Amino acid sequence: MTTSDDAVAVLGVQAPPATLRASRWRLALPVGLLAVPMLAFLTYFFFYPALGLLFSSIQTQDSRGIIGRPFTLAHYARLINVELYARVLWTTLRISIITSVLATVLAYPVALVMVKSRPMVTRIITLIVIAPLIVSVVVRGYGWQLVLQNGPKGMLNWILMTLHIVGAPISVLYTEVAVVIGSLHVFFPMMVLPLASALGKIDPNLEDAARMLGAPWWKVFLRVTLPLSMPGFVAGFTLVFSLTAGSFVIPAILGGASAIMLGNLIEQQIFVVYDWPFGAAIAAVLVGLVLAVNGVSMWLLEGRRLRRPD
Amino acid sequence: MDERFSGFGAFILYTITGCMMLFILAPLLLVMAVSVSDSYFVTFPPQGFTLKWYAKVLQDRDFLEAMRLSILLALGTTAGSLLFGVPAAFALVRGEFFGLAAIKGFLLSPLIFPALVTGLALLQILTKLGSQDARLNLLIGHVVVTSPYVIRTVVTSLQLVDENLEDAARTLGANRLTTFWRVTLPQIASGVAAGGLFAFMVSFDNYPVTMWLANSEYSPVPLVLMRQLVNVFDPSVPAMSTIIILMAMVGVLLLEKLVGLRRALAA
Repeated sequence: MTTSDDAVAVLGVQAPPATLRASRWRLALPVGLLAVPMLAFLTYFFFYPALGLLFSSIQTQDSRGIIGRPFTLAHYARLINVELYARVLWTTLRISIITSVLATVLAYPVALVMVKSRPMVTRIITLIVIAPLIVSVVVRGYGWQLVLQNGPKGMLNWILMTLHIVGAPISVLYTEVAVVIGSLHVFFPMMVLPLASALGKIDPNLEDAARMLGAPWWKVFLRVTLPLSMPGFVAGFTLVFSLTAGSFVIPAILGGASAIMLGNLIEQQIFVVYDWPFGAAIAAVLVGLVLAVNGVSMWLLEGRRLRRPD
Repeated sequence: MDERFSGFGAFILYTITGCMMLFILAPLLLVMAVSVSDSYFVTFPPQGFTLKWYAKVLQDRDFLEAMRLSILLALGTTAGSLLFGVPAAFALVRGEFFGLAAIKGFLLSPLIFPALVTGLALLQILTKLGSQDARLNLLIGHVVVTSPYVIRTVVTSLQLVDENLEDAARTLGANRLTTFWRVTLPQIASGVAAGGLFAFMVSFDNYPVTMWLANSEYSPVPLVLMRQLVNVFDPSVPAMSTIIILMAMVGVLLLEKLVGLRRALAA
């Protein structure tokens, strides 16, 4: 940062001479070519396979496991019509929405404190919020398994019983509640960071002005801070929703048999049942869900001209 | 920045923030505490103190083998995603060509695509191609998921580079390659390092792509840990987890040193 700032001071900020502009323009094509290896790699190992998977979701698998014609939408119909599978879809939606809403409500105060505190406090909060992001999801899921363990030997139950809040151990592990708690833990930073970024961009003079004109703190918050932080909220909500909807590890560790999500159903269909077209159809529904939420969020951020946090 | 909150609002804010910090740390601290407890089953509150579970883990062939594989895989992934990602980032920032925005969106799209599906799609095509070397397949999958991180961090740091410096070097007779090595690269070095570190950590922890492409012979650390979770009930699992937590802490501190955490992540 400082290097380039100094350079601007030394060299001046005016545009380089026309000859240089021209030479840069002439070299524009070769510079663009630098993206070709990455483009080729992603096209071949990401875009093309994704299309291939989508394609097999409308095909039929014969008894030898070979996928081909006839084309059919039966796999999609099965996901919606068979109650067992439809329930997984609803569970996934429910867990993702509840997790995102909880994350928003709880991340807002954290982001506010993070942005508006002394630098030392900001640093510590940032470190605590971000550090777990880099710890394996399996480890974090395991940590919650230990905390929530059913029976009197689990940490939560031990605390609740020692404080005489409950008389007998409660069962949280292997329920949807446990999956929501785990997902909230795993994806909480994804909500705090965009929110903090949006809050950091709000001109403090606006809030000061509102205060000076006599608005109480809650009114300043509702009328100034909250509306201006909407881009961060939209970005964070989208991230948390998408990531929760596509999770596998947390429901596998904390959800047991009662909170199976789409990711677990896909794994089961591919590795246990070997039903590729049905697995592909579930995957396509998951992708559709995630892309739809991302599309709405982009529309909100750009269509309504909210400033996007970066 | 020095603006404080006051009154009841402040009380609520700080209480919620404090509770969330506890919420974030509790399961990790519990794992670490249990890993040194002297009992054959994981219970709360942890009892006694011993390092024998670490001794057990460090003699566990499966775990050590997985550790070796994961580190090699993460190193290969870092190299691969830097090799593809840095030039691509350069093209995105400096190029002026048709469809630039669309190409940028495409290159970053693995970030919003569910990784689980990315892995499944790759498994399908690699099976069709007859690619049976799990190590190679894992490397390909990990480069797909990590390269957008590299592109994003390098793009951010390239945008901060003053092009006038490059123009100056060029005017003074340096060719494009020399200019890149001597002028541009030193300015984006911390961004490239952060991108590489990111790629390493994402690869090391990756589960949703890895679960499809690994096999019984080549299983990275997260898969081995997941298997142990189901089958082993003594505190060697928390000991393994603690080793992973400590490795992550080293990574976080490095990132903080290199570019600052907020900038590395919020880009």
